[in-house]
Amino acid sequence: MADTPIPLEVRDITKRFGDNEVLKGLSLTAHKGDVITLIGASGSGKSTFLRCMNLLEQPNEGELIVHGENIAFKATRHGREPADWKQVERIRAKLSMVFQSFNLWAHMTLLENVIEAPIHVLGKSRKAATEHARELLDRVGLLDHADYYPAQMSGGQQQRGAIARALAMDPEVMLFDEPTSALDPELVGDVLKVMRDLAKEGRTMIVVTHEMSFARDVSSQVIYLHQGMVEEAGPPEEVLGNPQSERLQQFLAPKH
Amino acid sequence: MEQLNAWFTELLADNAIFTANTLGYYLDGLGNTVRLVFLSLVIGLLLAVPLAIARGSRRKWIKWPVFFYTYVFRGTPLLIQLYMIYYGVVFIEGIQDTILWVVLKDAFFPALIAFTLNTAAYTTEIFHGAIKATSRGEIEAARAYGMSRGLMMRRIILPSAFRRALPAYGNEVIFMLHASAIASVVTIMDLTGAARFVYARFYAPFDAFLFVAAIYLCLTFAILYLFRYLEKKLLAHLKPING
Repeated sequence: MADTPIPLEVRDITKRFGDNEVLKGLSLTAHKGDVITLIGASGSGKSTFLRCMNLLEQPNEGELIVHGENIAFKATRHGREPADWKQVERIRAKLSMVFQSFNLWAHMTLLENVIEAPIHVLGKSRKAATEHARELLDRVGLLDHADYYPAQMSGGQQQRGAIARALAMDPEVMLFDEPTSALDPELVGDVLKVMRDLAKEGRTMIVVTHEMSFARDVSSQVIYLHQGMVEEAGPPEEVLGNPQSERLQQFLAPKH
Repeated sequence: MEQLNAWFTELLADNAIFTANTLGYYLDGLGNTVRLVFLSLVIGLLLAVPLAIARGSRRKWIKWPVFFYTYVFRGTPLLIQLYMIYYGVVFIEGIQDTILWVVLKDAFFPALIAFTLNTAAYTTEIFHGAIKATSRGEIEAARAYGMSRGLMMRRIILPSAFRRALPAYGNEVIFMLHASAIASVVTIMDLTGAARFVYARFYAPFDAFLFVAAIYLCLTFAILYLFRYLEKKLLAHLKPING
């Protein structure tokens, strides 16, 4: 256990937008195979927290340790920024992100989307990347869509394609930013099924979601955020099954 | 073939204007026009790509000079720019003694410079707009997958922007073809120059210019067709599958 570095460790992250402090000292440790779900009302900071993990947002304070590598920051006039962008790029390549709005590259076919970063960021050969991509597209049920452009696919197909793109990086940790929120209800199931399979095979995942059944069934840890702070955290049966705070009870209460 | 030849000879026999001699002028004019427009478009395009990137830079000392350049060249008539460069180079002290004069004394090169700088300015703005319109989400995905700025520009932003810019750039190409007609005012024997010559020689403005208009029309159709083909090929990703 102690031999392999922890995939992702986040310590005391704070984030301010102007005077508005949206993250007030959040920490999280993702061990190998963990599925951590972040839940909370909109505005609670869960997406911002996730985006701080791969530095799409720059945290004002706090530490990030990816696979044993501590991200270096340097002070600037406005606060701080990463000292070495090459390091950030290297670390981002280990943390694939799946976005709410899919964000597939529109001018490339699905297959080209999946092989793009493995070839140009990881330096894989085109042949190896294509073989791997075909396997992954087969897994998410889109092999027959390999030559489609994103605009020619449904939202659910695009999101499964985006998951294949994320998997193609062989990531340490997969970050999911509300992956089903932009989908029609009947398409949510397919995407969640793919995500459940990934959890089952031991992928390390951090998921921002509103899908409580997914959080309950799949996660090893649930973190409930409120106004940039952890209100409750723990295994799903505790946090979701027996919520302590009134706020979480209200949040979980069935909407009518 | 022979029949066609005979028919053609008969047709020409009847008129005094379109002899083999004047058709030769038009042919030379066509060659000069195509050469001038093609070269200025190609060089202008090559200049416009880095300029468009610089135009979108966050650094003021990179962004502002490019903006100033495109502002000046889009804000003044091409004819004035042509005059300035054609007559202006002569006044550069000692230029006639340098090797540069070998090319500059020919009207073709000042015209090429003026046209190139003009089309580069417009193309820079077209590309700049297309680059700016790149989807935020796609850029974010590129960053999230560990792409450096350069790689992202090369693999994501530019390929997507060029496709978006294609229809507008097609218009710019046609515009340049038509604008090249003013090259004749600085003694270049382009298509319009040939037409002016024929007009002056025979005092037949209608015949001379109608003929040259037909040639411009054919060239324009060729350009339209080329861009339609390119759009069909490169903008496939925007069309629904059964379109």
